[in-house]
Amino acid sequence: MTDPTLIRNFSIIAHIDHGKSTLADRMLELTNTIADRDMMEQVLDSMDIERERGITIKAQAVRVYFEASDGQTYQLNLIDTPGHVDFTYEVSRSLAACEGVLLVVDASQGVEAQTVANAQLAMNAHLEIVPLINKIDLPAADPERVRHEIEEGLAIPADEAVLTSGKTGIGVREALEAVVKHVPHPVGDPDAPLKALIFDSYFDAYRGVVALVRIVDGHVRKGMKVRMLATQTVTDVEEVGVRRPANLPVDELGVGEVGYLITGLKDPSLVKVGDTVTLARNGTEDPLPGYREVKPMVYTGLFPIDGDQYPELRDALDKLQLNDPALIYDPESSHALGFGFRVGFLGLLHMEVVKERLEREFDLDLLATAPSVEYHIFRTNGTSEYIHSPQDMPDPGTIDHIEEPYLKVTVLVPPEYVGPVMELAEGHRASFKDMQYLSKTTVEMHYEMPLSELIMDYFDQLKSRTKGYASMDYEYIGYRTSELVKLDVLLATKIVDALSFIVHKDKAYARGKVLTEKLREIIPRQMFEVPIQAAIGGRIIARETVKAKRKDVLAKCYGGDITRKRKLLEKQKKGKKRMKNVGNIEVPQEAFMAILKVDE
Amino acid sequence: MSSPGDIPTLPEHLYVHVPLCRTKCAYCDFFSLSRSDLPLSVDALTSALVNQACAWGERGLSMRPLQTLYVGGGTPSMLGAALAGLVDAIGTHIGFATGAEITVEANPDSIDDQLVSLLAEAGVTRVSLGVQSFHDDVLHTLGRAHDATRAIAAARSVRAWNLDLSVDLMCGIPGQSMGSWLASVEYAIATGAGHVSVYPLSLESGTPLAAEMLLGRFAEPDPDVAADMMIAANEVLAREGFERYEVANYAKPGAQSRHNTAYWTGHEYLGVGPGAHGMLTTATARAAGFIVPEDAARVRYAIACDLQTGLQPAPRADIETLTAGEAAREDVMLGLRLTTGVDVALVERAGVAGLLGRLAGTGLVERSDDRWRLTEGGWLLGNEVFGDVWAGE
Repeated sequence: MTDPTLIRNFSIIAHIDHGKSTLADRMLELTNTIADRDMMEQVLDSMDIERERGITIKAQAVRVYFEASDGQTYQLNLIDTPGHVDFTYEVSRSLAACEGVLLVVDASQGVEAQTVANAQLAMNAHLEIVPLINKIDLPAADPERVRHEIEEGLAIPADEAVLTSGKTGIGVREALEAVVKHVPHPVGDPDAPLKALIFDSYFDAYRGVVALVRIVDGHVRKGMKVRMLATQTVTDVEEVGVRRPANLPVDELGVGEVGYLITGLKDPSLVKVGDTVTLARNGTEDPLPGYREVKPMVYTGLFPIDGDQYPELRDALDKLQLNDPALIYDPESSHALGFGFRVGFLGLLHMEVVKERLEREFDLDLLATAPSVEYHIFRTNGTSEYIHSPQDMPDPGTIDHIEEPYLKVTVLVPPEYVGPVMELAEGHRASFKDMQYLSKTTVEMHYEMPLSELIMDYFDQLKSRTKGYASMDYEYIGYRTSELVKLDVLLATKIVDALSFIVHKDKAYARGKVLTEKLREIIPRQMFEVPIQAAIGGRIIARETVKAKRKDVLAKCYGGDITRKRKLLEKQKKGKKRMKNVGNIEVPQEAFMAILKVDE
Repeated sequence: MSSPGDIPTLPEHLYVHVPLCRTKCAYCDFFSLSRSDLPLSVDALTSALVNQACAWGERGLSMRPLQTLYVGGGTPSMLGAALAGLVDAIGTHIGFATGAEITVEANPDSIDDQLVSLLAEAGVTRVSLGVQSFHDDVLHTLGRAHDATRAIAAARSVRAWNLDLSVDLMCGIPGQSMGSWLASVEYAIATGAGHVSVYPLSLESGTPLAAEMLLGRFAEPDPDVAADMMIAANEVLAREGFERYEVANYAKPGAQSRHNTAYWTGHEYLGVGPGAHGMLTTATARAAGFIVPEDAARVRYAIACDLQTGLQPAPRADIETLTAGEAAREDVMLGLRLTTGVDVALVERAGVAGLLGRLAGTGLVERSDDRWRLTEGGWLLGNEVFGDVWAGE
């Protein structure tokens, strides 16, 4: 057991792409935690998708030993957190395992929306914040301006901000020195019963659920019987250890230490992020604060393009869920698309990542329907229910009113783009709250808007209307009443359930019109004419037609054309395979997402 | 036919590619060069092509008089008198069978009475004239070097020497009206041509026409307009005694292109010249020194486009091999383009009998007299069928 005064638990927080993971890699290098030859770029982001997109999805914890300039060797536990707003709860639990953070700000980009959001999370958790200005090797670096932005915009003293470059390694030692100097050491009662925070977990195919924990009081060793307070699960500790970053078993984890517990449990839902681990007998009954059940915010239907792949899709979702308990899914069947699943996600990024993993790691061809939120339907007979698929919308005659989830959205943008941001907000039913200058170059704007509007391509449009300068963050503020209707789409006069969506009454007509136009462009000409209609409760509000195909033949087919022609036919055939056959009509996948692109 | 132990014989069909054009047409993505870009003289080019053709005889294959020769391009007529020399040399070194079909492609701007007389003397029996349109505005859009007057004069020369004439026409061109299109079809008939080819304009990426389309200078060709024009041409030509014997080809009785028919009915052919393609059975291909996998039944090769190396006697070639099943499916695909269709035995061999049976339900194909054909309604929708045929059951 290490003397707690020689332990520092810290996290690195940053806006996406500000260099957090590269910096973490340099710290591992500097402390000889991994040999250079093992050094894979960005060790902490271990998933392919994390590495490719430069994002962190799963939290990680690595123990390093650092010999500081005072001659002492410190145990540093670096807890890498997901940076994206979809994972705010996970971030908050990772931060709860720390006493301080390194707040990384890009020396040319400056303070951005996630910088603000993450800094606020750290302040709320009463953590020591050590500012760090990164990428100072870039020609566009302007550390003075960024220092000013940190002080003005975040009210964090930055005169001692460490200047670093994850790329060249400049300042990395100084950053660790700053952690030792400024981040408080953990304090706990070694004689109290075990009290540990689960800040992440993962599933190991051979060993079962592995929990990443921070010991608050007491200690844990192999063979102990422990209990999780929220789920009241009792299990034996099969192994305790630390991550360096590979698992290294140790005898014991004591006050302030960070490491892993192998529980032997086979059901990941029993080990919840934010839960408290204590002794099975004579443990504490007083859980650590901040635990809550994570709830999906965004739902989509996932269907195999090839209906035969349904069992494979189920297996794949089962497997992904082992490491991603936030992922939930129920079977869903659609007249148009056959059997699939209604899948709930923490947010849009989470959704994209899961879909990509399903397709890549499990070799599935999937069709996703337009994302939806969870609506709260209040019936005239006094009952109420939650629905998360337009298909489940009851007969409008039985509905008293509908509530939908609302967000507080924060946008950071240079002053010259305030106009375009306002305009975009108006089109998305957002109500403007307030705005303030963080600095001469950055305005912080606040809106309240429905989540359903945010998932309507809001972020992409925000980026494009501000030439990429805007950054955004949001938090959930509860349900509010909206006048919503279900809009159906008919192909060849039959309702295609998977194309239905829920929309505000005032926007229904315009969106229906643009959607049918968009679908006319997307749906290729078939052997017969295909009328496309939009309807609300049986009343047609828009109509377009895809004309029948009249010519599809390669006229010139001589000696030299034959091979080329065959290749062309193969390509055509492949294209058709990627389409979904809906009542004899070949519908490309993007048709089911077309509603997201209707206000272009 | 060869029996075991015999030396395989050369195919009886030869295609010679002449990579030379006066100017590049706005829609064309074939390989050709202007005379000033050609790294060798016209005479050197001609003799290189002849040498390359003759070199097949030095690969352990026995020569056989050709049933058909097709000199295409590019613009073979740009060779002038050398084109007659090329045909003559091939006749001398390889030989023509009695009644052989010897076609040369020509553009109206590079053929005249004198050249026609030389060609006729060298043994040419058929001229395929790249007219495309008898309307000057349309010709201008296409970037063609000739005008309508010139096209009529060229056709007249060919007929004056009693050579068979084929006229190429193109529809679906920006700015082309139905009226002007039908007028072109009628002009073509009036030239005395026994054969007419009708193509819709297809936009190939990288061509000047495609670029202008992207810049918005032309409206994108409407596939429905092209379909209407092809159907209208079919009616006019049928009225005048032309039978459509392939998707894009019309002929008076007996005037079908025998060379092109060989492509569509699974016959071997040789191709020489940069960019030319050939098709051989594996026996011929192996005898010629190609390394061919065990299970292959058919070899397709393409001569590399590089003019310097492409004209060596033993040129660099890309090869593609097809199994017996693939070759049969290819034959069904090509055969269905013909109005005679394909016989049920071939369909069985290709393993697509069940598939065609199912497709008959869509009204695109039909079976009669033990042959499968595209229906009248399926004529312009062949890809719907061919894609499935090529993919197999």
